[in-house]
Amino acid sequence: MSTHEQLLQQMRQSVLDGDDEAAASLATQALEAGMAPLTAVEQGYAAGISEAGDLWEEGEFFLPELVTAAQAMKAAMAIITPALSGGAEDASAGKVIIGTVQGDIHDIGKTLVATLLSAGGFEVTDVGADVPVAKFVEQATELDADLVCASALLTTTMTVQQELIGALRAAGCKAKVMVGGAPVTRQWAGDIGADGYADSAVAAVEAAKALVAG
Amino acid sequence: MTTTELLDRFATRPLLLDGGLGSLLIAQGLAAGQAPEAWVFEHPDRIVAAHRAYIDAGSDIIQAVTFGGSSPKLAAVGLEGRCRELNTAAVALARQACGPDTLVAGDVGPTGKFLPPMGTASEADFDAAFAEQCTALADAGADLISIETMVDLREALAAVRAAAATGLPVLASMTFEARKRGFFTIMGDRLLPSLKAMAEAGATVVGFNCSVTSDQMVPMVAEAVAGQDAPVVAQPNAGQPRMTAEGVVYDASAERFVADLMSMVETGAKVVGGCCGSDPEFISLARTALDEAAG
Repeated sequence: MSTHEQLLQQMRQSVLDGDDEAAASLATQALEAGMAPLTAVEQGYAAGISEAGDLWEEGEFFLPELVTAAQAMKAAMAIITPALSGGAEDASAGKVIIGTVQGDIHDIGKTLVATLLSAGGFEVTDVGADVPVAKFVEQATELDADLVCASALLTTTMTVQQELIGALRAAGCKAKVMVGGAPVTRQWAGDIGADGYADSAVAAVEAAKALVAG
Repeated sequence: MTTTELLDRFATRPLLLDGGLGSLLIAQGLAAGQAPEAWVFEHPDRIVAAHRAYIDAGSDIIQAVTFGGSSPKLAAVGLEGRCRELNTAAVALARQACGPDTLVAGDVGPTGKFLPPMGTASEADFDAAFAEQCTALADAGADLISIETMVDLREALAAVRAAAATGLPVLASMTFEARKRGFFTIMGDRLLPSLKAMAEAGATVVGFNCSVTSDQMVPMVAEAVAGQDAPVVAQPNAGQPRMTAEGVVYDASAERFVADLMSMVETGAKVVGGCCGSDPEFISLARTALDEAAG
């Protein structure tokens, strides 16, 4: 096995182990060894995240494992991003505003999606939890976002997602809107006119890429 | 009441809890995103009316509007520093709605804070928050404490310890879902070891609420009854929420829900009720079915 292949294997493992120190140190080693930054991302860390997502689907991984895997990838990305050719602008998969809607303080699902999106190459602005509709609209307009992601974890707050879509459209915002959260279904997303929906953080990254591309 | 008194109550027949409260309050004007706890102060009459609807429907136990009544959770909805006040007032409203035979449970939900790696809370933070809330509930005269919707066993155990320390009987429910290797919480806590740990920590009755629909909860009850010794409580959702022109509706019929609830009782559940989407109609039908089964 070549050094590069060994490094890529260790990168994937560092993500699965949720070992952010190892992930970061491998990123430095790889760049020093002349590995193309994009190779490190795609065949190393992102492959690890994808494997973590598979393990989640398999019922082997749970939230803590997914969060630490994403944190490890983030630590590596902090080192690799500056080295990606053309700088951050060219490397960006799109600008995303993400938050949990007003009245809902649930943070983990949204944060996990934000972390994975950012690991997946998006420029992510996480506006937090309990975010007023007006703030989503203001941020999306100001940053010229490609995608707005709104999370709701309560049956009492999922209607705010609908409100948000109306407000974004009324403000002439061109961003696509993706919704998610435990009580949210594809049916619901369709009913309220959302552009996209994902039932897991891993699926959210794929859905986001498809939405921004299409 | 004492633990023995609660055990005596369901020795001969299962006890019926109430159903979902959020949807009832929304129908009365609670804004999307507003915390039900805020209405304990703003619209106490509407809280009493909601409790009364469940008592009229036949609930043996009603749960005070204190699910989000721990200090960290209250602070997140703009009610910081009002833990004792909220819990005291909410138990009083529940009591006001009750006749002599209905029991009032102080309801305890998650703090909204998470242990690492998801968050920065510590188990000591949980211990302190739940001790404050459970003491307030007991001092306010709750008959028992009902812990619900826990997804992290360590947070659930902190709540059980604090609730048990009051000397009141404790119902302790977590939220599990079916994964390939069995029933787990989203944090990876497995069903049977979690129930056993909660019983060990002082819970009188252990079980599940929320997240899954009634048909999905039937096998959970079977596993819990077969695999551990504590009495079992089950509070399923009434289907999955769906948007219609009239607002949010749940797609399970009350008949289907009650049939599943009765199946859980036959399997051995001792305390049953409804979670999100269930309303007084569901509980009223459950009352009729339970009474018919008891002859």
